[in-house]
Amino acid sequence: MLRIENLTKVFPDGTVALKDVSFEVREGEFLTIIGLSGSGKSTLLRCINRLIDPTEGRVVWDDIDITAAQGRELRHIRRQIGMIFQQFNLVRRSTVLTNVLSGRLGYAHPVFSLAHQFSRQDQKRARAALERVGIPEKADNRADQLSGGQQQRVGIARALMQEPRLMLADEPVASLDPVLAHSILQYLELLNRQDGITVLCSLHFLDLVHRYASRVVGLKDGELVFDGLPEELTPQKFKEVYGEEAEMVTVAGTGQ
Amino acid sequence: MTDHNRDDNGESHRPDMPAWLPAIFSLIIPGSGQFLLGERARAIGLLATVLGLGALILWQGTAALWAPLAAIWLWGAWSAYQTAKGRRPGMGLPFLLGFLILYGVGVAVTDVRPQRLISGWPAVQPYLRALTEPELLEYPTEDLVGSVPFQVPCIDPLPEPSRSPTEDPRLTTDVPCGEIGDLVQVTGEGFFPGVEGEFRWVNPIGDVQRVIEEGQQLTFVPDEQGRFQVTFRVPLAVPLSRLPQPGETQTHAIRAEQHKPYGSLEPTRTLDLVLEKIGETIALAFMATVLGLIFAVPVSFLAARNLMWGNPFTRGVYYVVRTLLNVVRSIETLMWAIVFVVWVGVGPFGGMLALTLHTIAALGKLYSEAIESIDPGPIEAIRATGATFPQVVVYAVLPQIVPTFLSFTLYRWDINVRMSTVIGLISDAGLGFLVIQWIRLGDLRAMATAIIAIMLVVAILDYVSGWLRERVIRGTPAGQEASPARRYAVTAVVTVGFVAAFIWSWNVSRINPVELVRGAPAGLQMLRDFAVPDILTRPTEEKSVRATLPVPCGSGESSTPGVSGPRVNLSLSCGDVGDELTIRGHELPPDRRVSVRWALSSSAYLRIHRDCCTTDSTGSLTWRTTIHPLMEVDPDAGRDEPGEVIVTWTEPIGGLQFSEPFKEVVRLSAVTLLMALLATTIGTVFAVPLSFLAARNIMGTHPVSRAIYYIFRGIFNLWRSVEPMILALICSAWVGPGPFAGVLALGLNNIPNLGKLFSETIEEIDTGPVEAITATGANRLQVLMYAIVPQLVPKYLAFILYQWDINIRMSTVIGYVGGGGIGQFFRIQVQLNQYDAAGMAVWAIVLMVWSMDYLSAKAREQLT
Repeated sequence: MLRIENLTKVFPDGTVALKDVSFEVREGEFLTIIGLSGSGKSTLLRCINRLIDPTEGRVVWDDIDITAAQGRELRHIRRQIGMIFQQFNLVRRSTVLTNVLSGRLGYAHPVFSLAHQFSRQDQKRARAALERVGIPEKADNRADQLSGGQQQRVGIARALMQEPRLMLADEPVASLDPVLAHSILQYLELLNRQDGITVLCSLHFLDLVHRYASRVVGLKDGELVFDGLPEELTPQKFKEVYGEEAEMVTVAGTGQ
Repeated sequence: MTDHNRDDNGESHRPDMPAWLPAIFSLIIPGSGQFLLGERARAIGLLATVLGLGALILWQGTAALWAPLAAIWLWGAWSAYQTAKGRRPGMGLPFLLGFLILYGVGVAVTDVRPQRLISGWPAVQPYLRALTEPELLEYPTEDLVGSVPFQVPCIDPLPEPSRSPTEDPRLTTDVPCGEIGDLVQVTGEGFFPGVEGEFRWVNPIGDVQRVIEEGQQLTFVPDEQGRFQVTFRVPLAVPLSRLPQPGETQTHAIRAEQHKPYGSLEPTRTLDLVLEKIGETIALAFMATVLGLIFAVPVSFLAARNLMWGNPFTRGVYYVVRTLLNVVRSIETLMWAIVFVVWVGVGPFGGMLALTLHTIAALGKLYSEAIESIDPGPIEAIRATGATFPQVVVYAVLPQIVPTFLSFTLYRWDINVRMSTVIGLISDAGLGFLVIQWIRLGDLRAMATAIIAIMLVVAILDYVSGWLRERVIRGTPAGQEASPARRYAVTAVVTVGFVAAFIWSWNVSRINPVELVRGAPAGLQMLRDFAVPDILTRPTEEKSVRATLPVPCGSGESSTPGVSGPRVNLSLSCGDVGDELTIRGHELPPDRRVSVRWALSSSAYLRIHRDCCTTDSTGSLTWRTTIHPLMEVDPDAGRDEPGEVIVTWTEPIGGLQFSEPFKEVVRLSAVTLLMALLATTIGTVFAVPLSFLAARNIMGTHPVSRAIYYIFRGIFNLWRSVEPMILALICSAWVGPGPFAGVLALGLNNIPNLGKLFSETIEEIDTGPVEAITATGANRLQVLMYAIVPQLVPKYLAFILYQWDINIRMSTVIGYVGGGGIGQFFRIQVQLNQYDAAGMAVWAIVLMVWSMDYLSAKAREQLT
């Protein structure tokens, strides 16, 4: 169980990205975070695995205070938290296999891994992960030769290598077209259902939220303005999160 | 290598062939096994590598280097075996070995001796110390000089001295004369009280030297009445060979000097000169840029593919202009400066012409590329409105090209400033001339002043042109246009300023078109010799026929001419000086230029009529002349035998051979390429670690690391403004002239250049992967290896190749100032008027620059 307690983040330039945000995530949930660009979604996700250090507040996971962890302990926490990104964040000039293997760095030998040496087991695991996301044949391609959807699948495979218990997804489909968006989210759904991985995913499109989320939190200007089930997200509530001028947009092609 | 290839190769390997077969093939001829397996590129690469490196080792002659070559050969066989087995071995090992050989040869031919860095350190120290104490300001001084004659040695009677003592201040000696080593007591009166002064000894020729007593410079301090008394020994002041004969004496003089500073600080004469030359430097760059711009614009239209592609004629023009631009561009400005020294003489004008010519070629190419990249969309759109052709040009074409042209011009102005600071190393133009002159005079502090001035000029103008360039590209933001009145005022001021600058620069550059015309024959002749270098020669042998001619008659026997074979007949068998003589040759080679010589029997030639005449088609020769006075037999002058008339011609023997200059140029080209390689390596090795210290994002926000960042950035920028030519001057003092000095200078120049490019690359890395790898729980080193290094390596390689390219260009000129390589050869040949040998060097440079340009462009393409 993940507990966000009074989380506040003020950037050095004075921008207040998060204001006293608190909520809980239960094991096995598919939680989506909605909000305008700049409402603090990315900052919130990054505070969980400490890519960004919060100014105040705590993130507690299974009674471990992530915000207090340092060095090796922090790395051990991080390796249990997978993360995928809007821009995929692959090393574009490395091969797909190397990108996937890099997800294992938290477990790999700290010296041998510098020379790109991974155990046979890890190699197998990487191929299996690629198999699972449906692109085993791309293992030796350079990452930048892949299409956007394929790159995001590599991103998922990299996260899978961590054998995560928690998956952070920062707008994973915002750079993809609607059909690909569904296929990526279906992978996340699969991981959520089959492997029981808790998923925290920020999303833009309401119909995707309705289709995949088991719970929704809404952020506005860094403040938590909604916390509830997808069904509770009425047009009224939606306007509260997104502002008066917002209109509901749907994504064409509703998966299955 | 992409995956695509790999799949192809996997299919093309033949399972029916035993794996050892291609291995055996590769063992016999490198690459043949790979060829058999269908890996053509690898096969050719391997063969070319082994042959090329083998030739290099053979040429250089270090036997130890055969070992890595053999290893490459064996690796070829092994890899053929592996490939046949369906595996694909990496190329790391052969690359490593290949570079080992290249470095081995490079270190040997460029004469790299690191110990000289240490042993030569004392020699370079004065240079570095001088750089910290330039001559800027000094107090004017009030001078008092008293002198008294002194005769060495004493003779009896002592003659009147040939110099007279000064009246006031007065200097007297206790004795009027003395031997070397004798003590002499000097008394002074009427000097500045309390101000320290120095003694000088002036020898009979007027050379002044310091008076040294026990290793110390001898000084005096007068008392309150301005009096002092000092005793010292008579020094040896004339060379031993010029000491007076016994019974003679020479008048020397003892001088006491005092310099009392007064008033306020004034610029030194050095500073005055430097300031004047700064003006000249800037004027040259300005003139060259403006003239270059004026000529480059029309040229660029002729060199723009999209404008000239219409019909075969214009296409032909396009190709000719493009080729010319490329040839002119690949010859460095400094080499053009040498050409123009021959053409219009030493001075700013020649320097300006060299800069202008190179500018035309460089800008012509950049402009034409700008024209080629015009977007046809706006042209179409404006034409669709019914606009006329001029309207289309003004509204659709000019707005697209003017900012680019301006930006390129400013960029070139920047380069021209840099070049005009060093063009003085060749010609009397700009600051570089002061540097080289003061180095020759050994006035290091003055030299340092000029070098510092160069650095400042380059750094400041670099900044100014960067700022202007940015403004030109950005343009005026919308809504911020000034009022019309103000705009006109600004335009007027800029125009007037420009015209004033132009007139001033014209005067400073001492432009003299007459000189250009007058020197044209010499210049064009030189260019023609450059254009047709003699690569091949045939060795020749001189042949001759002769006839004896006694003058006057009876002074000796005349020879009896033969009747067949090559022979020479004279119309007179003997005669007197001035008699008409017809020289006839028979059965000589037809249509050949021959020389006629008047010769003594002792075979000392008196007079030669070189290539005076030509034989006709039957091989006969007729030449009318008069008997030369020196043919007269004159026992008093040692000419007791009758002289001879000799007709000579040359006949080629054997086949064509490469000429000596050609062989030398080939050797020096290899040296030059290796110099560039070593310099790039030095630059890279130091720049890679330093670049991290100069990267803003790596150094973070901690005050200490931020300070380090600023320090390194600052050092890089300042250091970069020291031209490699200046570094070469200092390096040749450090490690002695030669290729090593060149390598060192280029390497030292590469460190800040690459360091700056590298650190900018680090600052531009994509932070996404860094974030992603950090999120997996990786430690810092792992993040570096997996997220940062893969992003940096290809860009670093591209920059290294680019720098190598520049180094090749630079190493063609660095030899002028003691850097060795082909530049040195070029300069020497020009000084010897051997223009065809110099031309060969030019062609070698053009060839090298082009091929390396092409190769590195290809390689860079692969990397991005």
